[in-house]
Amino acid sequence: MQLSITNLTKTYPNGVQALKGIDLTIQQGMFGLLGPNGAGKSSLMRTIATLQEADGGSIFLDEMDVLKEKEAVRKILGYLPQEFGVYPKISPEMMLDHIAQLKGIDNSKERKQVVGALLDRVNLYADRKKNLGSFSGGMKQRFGIAQALIGNPKLIIVDEPTAGLDPAERNRFYNLLSELGENTIVILSTHIVEDVRTLCSDFAIICQGEVLRHDDPDEAVKELEGNIFTRSINKIAIEEYRDQYRVISVQMKGGNLTIRIHAESDPGIGFVPVPAELEDVYFYQISSRMNVITL
Amino acid sequence: MFWQIFLFELKYRIKRPATWIYFFAFFLLGFLSTGTGSTPATEKVMHNAPWVMANGIIIFSMVGMLICSAIMGVPLYRDIEHQTRNYLFAYPITKFGYFWGRFFGSFIFVLLIGTGFSWGSIAGAAVGPALGWVVPERIGNYGLWNYFQPYFAFAIGNLLLSSTIFFALVSLTRNVKVIYSASILLLIGYFLSSFLVSDLEKRELVKLLDPFAVNTFLLETRFYTPFEKNTLLIPLTKVIVLNRAIWLGIAILIISYAYWRFNFQKFLQPEQVKIRKNKKEKTAEPAPILIRNVHQNFGGRQTRAIWWNLVKIEFLNIIKDNYFKAILGGGVLFLLIDFWIGNTYYSVADKPLTVFLMDYKNYNYSVFIFIILLFYTGEAVHRERNTRYNILNDAMPVSNTVFFLSKLSALFGIAFLLSNIPIVAGVIVQTLKGYTQYNFGVYFTEMYLLSLPGYLQMVLLCFAVHSIMNNKFGGHGVAMLIWISMFLMRAYAMMDYNLLFYFYTPRYMWSDMNGIGHFLAPQNWFNFYWLMLGALLVTLAFLFYQRGVTGGFKERWRVAMQRFNGWPRALVTLFFIAWLGSGAFIYYNVSYLNNYYTAAETRSRTAMYEKTLKKYEDLPQPKVTTVLVKADIFPDERRVQIYAKIFMKNKSGEPINALHLLAEQNIAYSILYNGKALGYTSPLAYPYSAFTLFKKGKDTMNYRIYNLPVTLQPGDTALMEVSSTISNHGFVNSGLSREIVKNGTFYSGGLPSFGYNQQMELESDEYRKKNGLPVKEYELPQHNDPKGIRNMLFNDDADLIHFEAVVSTTPDQIAIAPGYLQKTWEEKGRKYFSYVQDSPIDYFFSMVSAKYEVLKDSVTTDDGKKVNIEIYYDQQHPFNLSRFNAAYKDGLKYFSKAYGPFQYRQMRLLEFPRYAGFAQSFPNTVPFSESFAWVADFKKPDDFDFLYFVTAHELAHQWWGHQVTPNYTRGSNLISEALAEYTALLLTERKYGRDNMKRFLKGELDQYLSGRANEAKKENTFINCNRPYQWYYKGSLVMYGLRDLIGDSTLNKALHEFRDSFALKENPPFAGSNDLYAFLKKHTPDSFHYYLTDTWEKITLYENKLIKATAKPAGKDGYDVTLDFSTKKLYADSTGKETVAAMNDYIDVAIFGEETKDKDGRKKINPLYIQKYKLPQGEKKITLHVKGKPVKAGIDPYNKLIDRIPDDNLGDVDMD
Repeated sequence: MQLSITNLTKTYPNGVQALKGIDLTIQQGMFGLLGPNGAGKSSLMRTIATLQEADGGSIFLDEMDVLKEKEAVRKILGYLPQEFGVYPKISPEMMLDHIAQLKGIDNSKERKQVVGALLDRVNLYADRKKNLGSFSGGMKQRFGIAQALIGNPKLIIVDEPTAGLDPAERNRFYNLLSELGENTIVILSTHIVEDVRTLCSDFAIICQGEVLRHDDPDEAVKELEGNIFTRSINKIAIEEYRDQYRVISVQMKGGNLTIRIHAESDPGIGFVPVPAELEDVYFYQISSRMNVITL
Repeated sequence: MFWQIFLFELKYRIKRPATWIYFFAFFLLGFLSTGTGSTPATEKVMHNAPWVMANGIIIFSMVGMLICSAIMGVPLYRDIEHQTRNYLFAYPITKFGYFWGRFFGSFIFVLLIGTGFSWGSIAGAAVGPALGWVVPERIGNYGLWNYFQPYFAFAIGNLLLSSTIFFALVSLTRNVKVIYSASILLLIGYFLSSFLVSDLEKRELVKLLDPFAVNTFLLETRFYTPFEKNTLLIPLTKVIVLNRAIWLGIAILIISYAYWRFNFQKFLQPEQVKIRKNKKEKTAEPAPILIRNVHQNFGGRQTRAIWWNLVKIEFLNIIKDNYFKAILGGGVLFLLIDFWIGNTYYSVADKPLTVFLMDYKNYNYSVFIFIILLFYTGEAVHRERNTRYNILNDAMPVSNTVFFLSKLSALFGIAFLLSNIPIVAGVIVQTLKGYTQYNFGVYFTEMYLLSLPGYLQMVLLCFAVHSIMNNKFGGHGVAMLIWISMFLMRAYAMMDYNLLFYFYTPRYMWSDMNGIGHFLAPQNWFNFYWLMLGALLVTLAFLFYQRGVTGGFKERWRVAMQRFNGWPRALVTLFFIAWLGSGAFIYYNVSYLNNYYTAAETRSRTAMYEKTLKKYEDLPQPKVTTVLVKADIFPDERRVQIYAKIFMKNKSGEPINALHLLAEQNIAYSILYNGKALGYTSPLAYPYSAFTLFKKGKDTMNYRIYNLPVTLQPGDTALMEVSSTISNHGFVNSGLSREIVKNGTFYSGGLPSFGYNQQMELESDEYRKKNGLPVKEYELPQHNDPKGIRNMLFNDDADLIHFEAVVSTTPDQIAIAPGYLQKTWEEKGRKYFSYVQDSPIDYFFSMVSAKYEVLKDSVTTDDGKKVNIEIYYDQQHPFNLSRFNAAYKDGLKYFSKAYGPFQYRQMRLLEFPRYAGFAQSFPNTVPFSESFAWVADFKKPDDFDFLYFVTAHELAHQWWGHQVTPNYTRGSNLISEALAEYTALLLTERKYGRDNMKRFLKGELDQYLSGRANEAKKENTFINCNRPYQWYYKGSLVMYGLRDLIGDSTLNKALHEFRDSFALKENPPFAGSNDLYAFLKKHTPDSFHYYLTDTWEKITLYENKLIKATAKPAGKDGYDVTLDFSTKKLYADSTGKETVAAMNDYIDVAIFGEETKDKDGRKKINPLYIQKYKLPQGEKKITLHVKGKPVKAGIDPYNKLIDRIPDDNLGDVDMD
């Protein structure tokens, strides 16, 4: 199975150009989507999830025209949006049972089993009869994960799924996703760059509606290996360094700034080479488009 | 702190477009109502008169409740809604500053918006006349205070009350939805108080309890004459001040309580959701294992299952909603109250007939239905979006169709539920009242076939609007706007072409006698027509159904075009064709088979009639002497065919060259004159209505001029044979045309009359001017007008005539016409009835045909005459027959003795369907409406027997109207109506006792005073009376008062003499009001002549008032009672302007003991003292000694005099 996105464009009525000709081919497995706020990640994911019209371009899932055959897509889709609401006076069990029915599971016994098992896997089984309204942010997010996984989706789209989860729950989720993600396409957006490296075999960086980089994460990191240097500087000097070097990230530590730069060769003067990380790839890419030095 | 928050609130509000939209809306209301003259002002009242301004300002300050809810609900809730409370909490804000800053910051704008109506009216008064929207004479020149006095006196209080309620509710509940139900509750409160107003005896209470003082204002000023409405600012009477004080106090209490209870920190804390306690063993159950290969099925069966499931969920979501329950509960409460009380005449309720209940459900319940369907359609359409669940939901593999239809189906389910409630409530009320003729056919037809389609139409329109708008508040706004603008157009712009008003159908009415009858077909057609439009709109809305993220208009349009394929396309076509097709059929019925004219067109036609034909008014015409009618009634076809031989004589003294015949437009007829057909000309043809598109030419008026071959010389006779057909084709826009029906035909037309009829002219001077006609001061000529005294008031085509009729109908019905039944026979499947009237009657007859049961009885009067009594009634209504019979028997005996012999050998009473609600007296025949008295539920001994009274009134017309026929001069109708009303009152008093007359007299006085307050032209003196409120209500008071002074026997003697001089005169002159007046004068002693002059020749009003009554014991079982009272007499001119008059008049002074019950269980008033005093104007104190304990005392306690404030005449006696 393969998802091919060709020249996808979208402009919102207020004039914001969210997607400027996205081209991506996504294979089975986990696909990570990185990008700053407002880059177009959610727009792209919503469009694939049939919830938003595109202005131009095409999306094909093998032979299936995602932009036209919406209903066929929805039958194999699992979608967890970044933000969603629930009915506060209903229990997760009832809600999931309802969703399972919408997803075509017509056998009520089977439904009960699926719902129970998924609730267990997201660690909500004990809370299955509580009202959704009483759920904390993390619990609600886990409920969202459960609903996305009902009915063996072949195309799973999860938009910042780990936001609000504690580290243990985050791991639990990734394990579940890896388990269910076999033979499926999983598109995952996140701000935790390292997660992409540990999970995904493929990823893309999107910024201002364009794909900046599409690669294997390890490959991408390898490419920068030996080009990343760091040092600690005085806060006042930052402008100076910025003019001289390609600063890709800064961090405040104990009154001083630790900066990371990209350079073809060791610049010396206090800079120390460090092993490249995926985050360096990310900042390296987007620093070409926007100011990443935020103080 | 207060100031910062206050100023922030001001800045916030001032930038909101809504603030200015509200202001502008009120401005526009004032501007348009004054500027275009769409106010409740009657013709002699200015559109910007103080009373009119107060009325508008008070009512709209009540309606302003909606704006208060929008503005005052949000200032606190905003912090919850936008989650600002999460950090606002952290700022150093004081409770005082927060609460009052927000309150006043918003309330200032409520006050500002509240002035919109006044500013708009000022602008309207300035611009309206200049633009020609309103006649300049109807705009008065008033100062600024005129527009703002009611604002300060009433509006501020109303706005404050609503504002405090809404603000307090949100502050206490932290819930903005509660405002919905609060508005509903306020509405209920308002309905309730309006409900009580209908009962005379509870009005004082209502004046205090109306939170918005609408009823207080209306009741306090209800007797205002045009003059007073134009000149007086609303006086702050004691009760108005008290009402305002009560409700302002309540408002302050509410807001203070809210402030006291308001806990700043708690308010801003997130809600704690109650955690449900779980059963432990269930939770402990091990979780099932995840299966990897679940079976998914997307087939038809599963789709239907999903649809059904979604329908159930949505349906339950709505009916489980607390606000839904609250609103519906309110609706059911009102439904039960309306069903329980129903319509009352003189405070006597009708039996709960199913046909009545089906009317009552539209009183208040339909308002609730409207609210429910409007709001819950919006709730349902936007439910997913509001909880932001839509983003999950919309990604589910369920088609748009299933989502869309499931919502729609659930709402249809709600509509269905709502249409069942009146059935259940009705059966419960009927059972509790012990009435078991449930008539389920009526229930089911009405609710499922007639009401439900209307509810569905409402849902369809709102659903389409909400789907297209894709924004809940926008959707509500647009939907409300559609309904309100339709309502306003119909109510104020007088537009009523139903084909153009979504959801509207022609009027219809259920009748026990005739069922739904011919009303059903137009209902079904219209309902189909609107359902098809609704379905079309909803299908179009489906194309714009929004799934996922909202796109721009262009995108939605593109998507809609993509969807416009396959079945949506087929359905759009189908619904469009069905809608247009049914519309075309309706149009064919309404505007082709029949003629529809707008109100303005009808007026211009009437004006044309007068302009073109008035010149023929004085043309001499023959008089009818004998009428031989052969009439065939075809109830099923709703057709009547008449052949009449009319013998005529020239009684005019002038030669007659041409016959002028005038007939109603729906009568097709031809004549033979002395056996020969004559040619005729039609001098008037009207243009067709603007709505009549497919008819060429003109609508010829049924006014014909036949030139006679030989001049009809004075004294000559001639025979005219008329063949006419009266038929109904298809249906009409109004839905009425009630006369010829399946069961219960009551028809009194069918033959042409002679010449120009002055009474058809336009009455209103304003409309006359608009249509280029001169002002019309009097309708009738002066008292001694030579032509006037030679003609009869009700019909100038004949003096008394000889009458015979053969009437045929279907074999299961009985046909009745004036006269004595000679024989009946059947022929060719029809039944014939032959009637001969062997004594002369006036030319005023009706034909009635229905399936009847007959009660037969007879009475012999004191002069030995036997009179047969026949009561023709519907088998479902046998309840009150003995009361009708008693009224006939008592009346025939007493009237014969008191006024002169009865002229016939029979007296009949006939029930006819309730399409008209009156009783009417024809010679020895009284048709009496089905809804009136036949089904009255007389239970309590104190119930006023209005049946007896009205029957006596109609019977009395056999003397006053049929024996003594009024002539065609000013005020002569009082001979017929005032005397019938008075003699009926006398008969009722003889049966039920004098004590029970007070309530009746008070009712008559109330009706007279409200009648003159709404006078559109000018009030005539009684002797020249020209309005029902004068000849009925003032008439009975004037005569009753005279009787009180000169006594029964003297007055009866005068009336007897009057009757003797005019009874059954076959030749003129006939009686005028001055003739009756002369007889009364003759029999009234000089000392009482002032009373006659005051009541007949002047408009006289009293202001008598008890100031205080105190008593102290004196002697054994005795008391000395001191009465302190004031008297005043006023003369009013024809506009209602009053001047104080000198007086020295007889007025009752009375002291009453405790009320007791008589042997029949009736309330008995026990006067301890009642005496007439000759009183001058001013205050007076008298002390009287009575035996027995005094309870009440007063001046003119029975309201025998016309007193402007009748309620203050009697008061409690204070014990010293």
